[in-house]
Amino acid sequence: MGKINSLYVHIPFCARICPYCDFPKVIYRQSWAYDYLNALEQELKARDGGLFSTVYVGGGTPSCLSGAELTRLLSFLRPHLVDGGEFSLEINPETLTMEKAKILSSFGVNRASIGAQSATPKSLKTLGRKHTFEDVRKAVTLLRGQGINNINLDLMYGFPDESDQDVKEDIASFLSLKVPHLSAYSLILEEGTAYHAKKIKPLDDDAQQALFEIIREALIEARYERYEVSNFALPGFRCRHNLTYWKDEPYLAIGLGASGYLGDIRYKNTLNLSSYIKGDHEGEVERLGLSSQLEDFFLTNLRLAEGFDLKTFERRFGFPFLSRYQEAYERCQSRGLLEIKDGRLACTSRGLDFLDLALLELF
Amino acid sequence: MSFDSSKIRNFSIIAHIDHGKSTLADRILELTGTVQKRDMKDQLLDSMDLERERGITIKLNAVTVTYKAKDGETYIYNLIDTPGHVDFTYEVSRSLAACEGALLVVDATQGVQAQTLANVYLAIDNDLEILPVINKVDLPSAQPDFVKEEIETRVGIDCTDACLVSAKTGMGVEEVLERIVTDIPAPSGDPNGPLQALIFDSYYDSYRGVVVLIRVKNGTVKVGDTIHLMQANRDYLVTEVGIRTPNELKVPSLTAGEVGYLAAQIKDIHDVHPGETITLRDNPAEEALPGYRKINPMVYCGLYPVDSKEYGALKEALEKLSLNDASLLWEPETSQALGFGFRCGFLGLLHMDVVQERLEREYHLNLILTAPSVIYHVKMTSGETISIDNPSELPDMSKIAAIEEPFVKADIMAPKEYVGPIMELCQEKRGYYQDLVYFDDTRVILTYDLPLSEIIYDFFDKLKSYTKGYASLDYELKDYRKSELCKLDILLNGQQIDALSSIIYRPSAYNRGLAIVSRLKKIIPRQQFEVPIQAAIGGKVIARADIKSMRKDVLAKCYGGDISRKKKLLEKQKEGKKRMKAVGSVEVPQEAFMAVLSIDEEE
Repeated sequence: MGKINSLYVHIPFCARICPYCDFPKVIYRQSWAYDYLNALEQELKARDGGLFSTVYVGGGTPSCLSGAELTRLLSFLRPHLVDGGEFSLEINPETLTMEKAKILSSFGVNRASIGAQSATPKSLKTLGRKHTFEDVRKAVTLLRGQGINNINLDLMYGFPDESDQDVKEDIASFLSLKVPHLSAYSLILEEGTAYHAKKIKPLDDDAQQALFEIIREALIEARYERYEVSNFALPGFRCRHNLTYWKDEPYLAIGLGASGYLGDIRYKNTLNLSSYIKGDHEGEVERLGLSSQLEDFFLTNLRLAEGFDLKTFERRFGFPFLSRYQEAYERCQSRGLLEIKDGRLACTSRGLDFLDLALLELF
Repeated sequence: MSFDSSKIRNFSIIAHIDHGKSTLADRILELTGTVQKRDMKDQLLDSMDLERERGITIKLNAVTVTYKAKDGETYIYNLIDTPGHVDFTYEVSRSLAACEGALLVVDATQGVQAQTLANVYLAIDNDLEILPVINKVDLPSAQPDFVKEEIETRVGIDCTDACLVSAKTGMGVEEVLERIVTDIPAPSGDPNGPLQALIFDSYYDSYRGVVVLIRVKNGTVKVGDTIHLMQANRDYLVTEVGIRTPNELKVPSLTAGEVGYLAAQIKDIHDVHPGETITLRDNPAEEALPGYRKINPMVYCGLYPVDSKEYGALKEALEKLSLNDASLLWEPETSQALGFGFRCGFLGLLHMDVVQERLEREYHLNLILTAPSVIYHVKMTSGETISIDNPSELPDMSKIAAIEEPFVKADIMAPKEYVGPIMELCQEKRGYYQDLVYFDDTRVILTYDLPLSEIIYDFFDKLKSYTKGYASLDYELKDYRKSELCKLDILLNGQQIDALSSIIYRPSAYNRGLAIVSRLKKIIPRQQFEVPIQAAIGGKVIARADIKSMRKDVLAKCYGGDISRKKKLLEKQKEGKKRMKAVGSVEVPQEAFMAVLSIDEEE
């Protein structure tokens, strides 16, 4: 396995808990924050983190840390980023201040991902979010004021009672901010979230997909490329960090409940905050056999519109793709799911929406 | 083995499912010291797992035990087990023919059940002495007096001295053992006459060939004899004779009145049918024992592996199963939709079910069964007549002059208050009324000629629901009759699926077609594209339902932490997919191929 080029840093704190979120998180408390950041730095050392091309700080809500805490965090992360590297941080619109934007910029954060979710007050209320779209607009302006132009907005769709019109209004608002990257996610309520417990039902698959198609068409019309199942970017603005995941390349992950991937090992840190703060980050470790590695490779790479280079596959696994998957490939091809073009295997544009069907053939 | 035949008692136990037949048999084995209590597996006689699980006895069995009676004498008891389903009526009648008596076990809380009646009448037909045993009298809800009266009025057997027992606790079972001595006659028969031995069961053993279970009626058979099978007209040299206690115990000979087993290097179980008479080549009996009937499969279906790579394994499994199952017939067949498989013949639907379950459970095969069919006689315009057991083989209607289907003579016995509903059902199922006989004050026997195809469709289920389970059904093939039949084809996504074709009664084609397409719509999951399901007769579509296309099948979010979970989700789906068959471009679940049969017409 090659060099590890990407680092994920998990900040589990949130000002409040969103009822649909299933990421590891706790309510922000000042008394925990410093201890946590110390433990994080220790873990990075323990995991022998070197230099990374991409660093991604996600959560939780990294932006809910105070200015001082952000400074502490970024000051030990910054030395691990190569020159010209991508340094991303997730932001909740209502937590970003001018002070924090300046701190981000001064430590070289050059990409921000904003959990905007929706522009319509009704939808934001359904999601239990406290911000307004005005907050999103302000956050974008603050970031741009500090030279951070590489911005992503998360757009969520498919929550109960959402109409075509709601989605169209959302897109118009999002596009008006002219950010270079958009991610569109359907609302999925995983077990263990408050909405799941309350039996709140997102729209069914058909209705969700109808909304997604509206989004997809509008974004393509606005010159965004759908480079991954749910991700859209203007040319030159794909998220390099996330591409690490989708190209099935290794990455280090630190923080509470963070999941890392070392090529043939996947690990997931403890979900217990007090253990983590005490320096015990050990959680689950899974060693991947060949078939598991192949499955991972397909389920990540085929999410990309460009798929993967067959030579890359052969270099990685030591045999040509078709030598093992000829039949499965032919089945997928005849069903219009996959195609090989210019030495790359990829989903057809329609196949991208039916990726699981293709994966079931390859698994 | 030579034993005073006046000290032998040969008997069966007749009971409804769950009325305690196997438990009583276990107690008898225990009390006669045949099997130590600690060695008892529950319900020893039912040796196949499947039998134990379903509480039914499929394969016959026989056990010899010795009993020291209160009169100071030692008796030999041969307990002969019987299966209990209409598919196996003939086998039951043959094992009853090996006995002089039967214990009629009735649950004191449930009373006489329909299925019991059919077997009691078989026993009466075979002149058996019937000893009523009322079981489960220890239960608080037991009503032994009521049940006694019911047996007297419904079955017509005197219950003044019926045994009251609890097979579970053992209470009263010794009394039963004594009553076997006093009430069931000793076998008659001439030990010195020419040999006549009745075969009532057989099984395959890889060292000795087919081992047959026999009841010697007259004469003696011993190792070294050359025997002659009177129906099959074949000779064999006897290599081993013995009794089952229940472990096999070799004996020098078996004489009139005795029950035991015999091995004679018989290679193929299909050569020895139950009901066959064994005699000696050099001193043959003048005639065979009565009641022999060659049994032929009545129901056919296609059997295919879901994964075509399992074809060889399926063939091997069928070979092994038919070593022990003379009534299972099979031959290779090919389906456009399902690939290579076998067309198999069964005695009836239960037999089919049992074979399927054994193939899946014991041989770990993943199977598709097509809907069962009967054998049709097709008269062609060319004058030729062909037999068809697979609907997809029906020639073009323009070349067909007439189609004949098998009719059975069905005897339905039921309490008289159900005559109306039963007649209605038989009418609906295209039956021809033949006769109505009052069996006694309360019960009638209705005789109808019915198409066998209706019986394998849902007649039995409906009969049970129309009569609250009180009717019993016995049928035998009668003749072939011309019927207004046609082939109903099913098209998935425009492609005709041979394995889903069925031959049906034309006037009900529209309803049947509609029911099948709506059923398939429920069973077949949504696919990547819209799938029209059509029912057609001779190219003309008579019913249609559409499976809407799936609009997406992909998880929106997949980042670093999601990958493991996502993979596990897919692996689970992959397992589910193994139960599906790709037919053309449509993924079809196994049960769809039975949908032609298991439809609810109210749907």
